[in-house]
Amino acid sequence: MTCTMDELILKLKKEIIDVLNLEDITPEDITDDAPLFGEGLGLDSIDALELIVLMEKNYGIKLKDPSQGRELFRSIRVMADYIQANRTK
Amino acid sequence: MRPLYVSRTACITRQSVSVNGKELPVSSGDGRFLAAVYRTLGIDYPKFFKMDNLSKLGFLASELLLREDRPRFVPREDCAVICFNRSASLDADTLYQATIGPGEDYFPSPSLFVYTLPNIVTAEIAIRNKLYGETSFYICEAFSAHQLFTTVSHAFADSSIRSALAGWTEYGNEVCEAFLMQIETFPPPETALPFSVEFLTRIKNKL
Repeated sequence: MTCTMDELILKLKKEIIDVLNLEDITPEDITDDAPLFGEGLGLDSIDALELIVLMEKNYGIKLKDPSQGRELFRSIRVMADYIQANRTK
Repeated sequence: MRPLYVSRTACITRQSVSVNGKELPVSSGDGRFLAAVYRTLGIDYPKFFKMDNLSKLGFLASELLLREDRPRFVPREDCAVICFNRSASLDADTLYQATIGPGEDYFPSPSLFVYTLPNIVTAEIAIRNKLYGETSFYICEAFSAHQLFTTVSHAFADSSIRSALAGWTEYGNEVCEAFLMQIETFPPPETALPFSVEFLTRIKNKL
């Protein structure tokens, strides 16, 4: 459970690529601060729901309000910061 | 009833991929057959990888039919998309069910859930190709050339429909097979064949 921020960011990138079926995208292709939605990885609303499931399943973080995702999923770094501060597993 | 013609056909099984009877070489080294077909066709449509296997199969069959059209993606309201199969979305249903574990392991996957309806395959084809005619999906106990012929023919009773992408798309229980036809009303080129029960029986038997 204890890992550095860089390790967490890399792990998170791999998990996102896997769970969202981002074929042909590697962790190196995802910039830590680039937006995940819109022009970033081009994710959609179903992807957002899948990320909410990922947060709960892998890190024990339950988002009570799905609209929180809009802020949390701004970038990998924002996600990782939130996970580091709130994870229960 | 207007006479109908099959202007193009595409067939996919794990053993062979063909367009108008002409085989396309597909190499699937890593066992991901549908992804191998996608790469062979040189398609650039990342959403493909988010689809369930049934949608991938139907999508690829439609790409085989339409990929050489120029111009492509011209919106059409006179083209229907009509598919049939036996197993509905059972493959996607099973994968979705596997994400719903007991007790605390309850994480139903939203991205799998959206494909737990077989008619999504017709929607994926329609969205990709901007086809705004009827889309429908029929689940049959077994392949029936007569049922397919009758149902597709009835779609053309709507005088606004001049063309249809129609066929059999089955994925599940270790079966992966599809044939898709472009069916049209206008006088066909020399290669077009009359749309008939016999034609459907022949093409299914070749899979």
